[in-house]
Amino acid sequence: MTGGMITVSNLSVSFNAKGRTVRAVEDVSLSVAKGESFGLVGESGSGKSTILRAICGLAPVTAGEIAIGGQKVPSPRGRAFAARVQMVFQDPYASIHPRHTIDRTLSEPLSIHGIGDTDARVMQALADVGLPAGFRFRYPHQLSGGQRQRVAIARALMLQPEILLLDEPTSALDASVQAETLNLLARLRETRGLTFLMVSHDLAVIDHMCDRVLVMQQGRAVEEMTRDDLAASRMKTAYARSLFEASADRMLG
Amino acid sequence: MTLLSVKDLHVTFDTEAGVVEAVRGVSFSLGRERLGIVGESGSGKTMTGRSVLRLIRPPGRISATQMLFDGQDLMRASEREMRALRGKRIAMVMQDPKYSLNPVMQVGAQLMEGLRQRDRVGRAAARQAAIAALEAVQIRDPERVMTAYPHELSGGMGQRVMIAMMLIPNPDLLIADEPTSALDVTVQAEVLSILDGLVRDRGMGLIFISHDLRLVARFCDRVLVMYKGRIVEELAARDLLSAKHPYTQGLLDCLPRIGGNRGPLPGLDRNADWAKA
Repeated sequence: MTGGMITVSNLSVSFNAKGRTVRAVEDVSLSVAKGESFGLVGESGSGKSTILRAICGLAPVTAGEIAIGGQKVPSPRGRAFAARVQMVFQDPYASIHPRHTIDRTLSEPLSIHGIGDTDARVMQALADVGLPAGFRFRYPHQLSGGQRQRVAIARALMLQPEILLLDEPTSALDASVQAETLNLLARLRETRGLTFLMVSHDLAVIDHMCDRVLVMQQGRAVEEMTRDDLAASRMKTAYARSLFEASADRMLG
Repeated sequence: MTLLSVKDLHVTFDTEAGVVEAVRGVSFSLGRERLGIVGESGSGKTMTGRSVLRLIRPPGRISATQMLFDGQDLMRASEREMRALRGKRIAMVMQDPKYSLNPVMQVGAQLMEGLRQRDRVGRAAARQAAIAALEAVQIRDPERVMTAYPHELSGGMGQRVMIAMMLIPNPDLLIADEPTSALDVTVQAEVLSILDGLVRDRGMGLIFISHDLRLVARFCDRVLVMYKGRIVEELAARDLLSAKHPYTQGLLDCLPRIGGNRGPLPGLDRNADWAKA
C-alpha cells in the first residue's frame, strides 16, 4: 500500500501494565488516500484510539510502520510532523489548558513554529470555527462544551495541517451541538481538502462523515467496509453485524 | 404504586450575576418503572436527579411543595435521615467515571468500602460481593479490575464499575445520570439489559437521565423532555420518536442517520416561540 496520505502497515502496540503485556493493537493495516475520510469503529478497548495515538507518537509502537505522505514518520515526531498532522481529542474539558486564555491556546502552535502574524491568524481561526471574536481573551471555563470543542478544532487547524486525527470529536456533546460540530468539520474538510482519520463508537456519525470504515475488536481489524456496504448492511463478519444491529435505531427512516 | 412523587420542584443558584433558576417548577411521579429524562446540557435534568437526593450544595437551593419517597418527606428529612437513604435506598450513578471515582484508591477498595463501613460485612465476603458485582456488569477480568486504579480503566470500564458499585446495596430507586454515554453500542446494550433486569426482577424504580433520545425511546417506559429547567413534554417512550413538540422534533432531526444523505445536519431553532418563556 503506497501512495496513501496515511499508511499504517502491520501496526502493533503493547503496553506493560503491572508485569503483564496488554496488546492494545495487533497487526492492523490501513491506508487513507488524500482528501479521504476514514472511520474507525469498535467497542471501548478495541484499540481504535490507540491507533491515532500511535500515529502521533503518543503510544509505544512495538511492530509495524506508519507513513505520512509516503514517508516513514520520524521518532520523535518533530515539528514537521505537527505541521502536517494534528489531533482533536474527545474531551474538550480535558484537552484545553484551563488557565490559558483561548488566545494563548491558539497562538502557542504559531510561536513554537516561528510563524508570525499571530493576531490576524488567531482572529481568522476563531472566525473559521464560528466563534465570535470576543471569545479570544476568555478562559475555557467560560465556554460551553461545544464552544470548547470548536476551540480544539481551531487549535488543530492553526498550523494548516493536511491531516486531522479526530478521536470521538462529538461524543461529549449534545445532539444539537454534535450536529453543528459535524457540519463544521465537513465544511472545513471540503474547503481545505483535509484528510480525516476519525474514531467514533457511533456508526451513524461514522456513516455521516466517512467514506470507508474499519471495524475493530480487541485490538484487531475485523472488517473494512465502504459507506455503501454499511448502509446496505453488507457486512461479512458476525461482529460487524452485531455492531450494526445494535445501531439499528440509527438507521434512516 | 408511587415510589417517588415530586411537585413543583425549583432549584435556584444565587450567583454574582443574579439568581439563576436551573429547575423551574418540575412535577412528576414515579412507580416501579423506567422514567427517562431527556434534554440538552443545561436543561436541568441532572439537577432534577440530584435534587431527589438533596445533593445540591450552596449557593444552590432546592424548594418543592412536595417530594415524597416511599411515604417519607425528603424536604423535611434531616441530614442524618438523608444519609440513611443515600446509597442504601436511593442510589445514583454519576455521569463521568473520571471525576466520580476516587483517583487514588483501588477499584476493589472503593467497591468494598460501602459494604465494610455501612453494612459491616467481613473482608472476604465483601470481596466476593464486589467481584460478583463486577461480573454482573460484564467485566471480563474482575480480578485485575479490583486492583486497578481508575486511571488504568477505559471510560466504559469505569462506568461499569460505578454501576456495579451502586447496585451492591440493592436500592429501591436508582438515578442514573447518563450512565451509558461513555459506552459503545454493544456494551451499552449489555448495561441496559442489566438495568432492565433490576427493574423487572427486583421492582426497582429507575430515573434514566440522558441526552440520547433514541436510547431513551427504546429503553424507558415514560419520558420527560426538559428545556431550560421546565418539562416541555411528557409522553410514553414508544411515542417519543414521533413527538409533536418542536423542541423534541428538533433534537431528533439533528441526529445523523446511517444511509442518510450526508448533507449538513439541521440545527435547532432557538428563536421559535417554544424556546422563549
